[in-house]
Amino acid sequence: MATAIEAAALLVTAAGVVVFLTAYAATRRIRTALPLLLDFLMAAGLMRLAGDLSWSGILLTVAIIAVRKVAAYGVAEKST
Amino acid sequence: MILSWEVLPEPDLREAIGILVRVVETAGALIIFLGACWAFGRFVATVVRGRGRAEGFNRIRLTLGRFLVLGLEFQLAGDVLRTAVAPSFTEIGQLAAIAAIRTALNYFLSREIAQERAEIESDAEAEPGRPAGAEAGTGTGRRKAP
Repeated sequence: MATAIEAAALLVTAAGVVVFLTAYAATRRIRTALPLLLDFLMAAGLMRLAGDLSWSGILLTVAIIAVRKVAAYGVAEKST
Repeated sequence: MILSWEVLPEPDLREAIGILVRVVETAGALIIFLGACWAFGRFVATVVRGRGRAEGFNRIRLTLGRFLVLGLEFQLAGDVLRTAVAPSFTEIGQLAAIAAIRTALNYFLSREIAQERAEIESDAEAEPGRPAGAEAGTGTGRRKAP
């Protein structure tokens, strides 16, 4: 089951990268494209956390969330 | 006390709760995965139909966020179940950390969804000839006409 969840999380990460690149190509606005990527990455991180009770897994998820919040804040500041 | 010990031996209880936790957490992961697949599908459809606008992408994010919140609720339920049989302080600490992360995420995601929704509604109000709550307010995430 852990392997399946890991594979699914990887798939979601790949989908996020594709979505980010396509959204950026379509809109030319990082403010629109980046949150999409970060949402997909967060989905992948949350999936990995299911069943993985380890400090490294927890720290990885916290890092992703922190990066997500900082990046979202930075992009919002830049656009204003 | 003796009766309960015989009827519900601790190893069996542990095993049963372990299975329940796995089922509930897998359901949460599945919901998040389905949400991501659905968001990806809608994104592709939006781009292919030439509606690749920021507001369309925001609506997709809004729906993905809802799936994430729902999946998180399931995962939190799994955490609560786990606390029933957490044997060591290390495990309890890890559970507390994960539960805190998920609760904080749930809070932030709900706030973002509310913000996003308000933005979509105000955008709809700004556009002439379209009712304000026609799409954003329904929560179904339907696309606007081009």
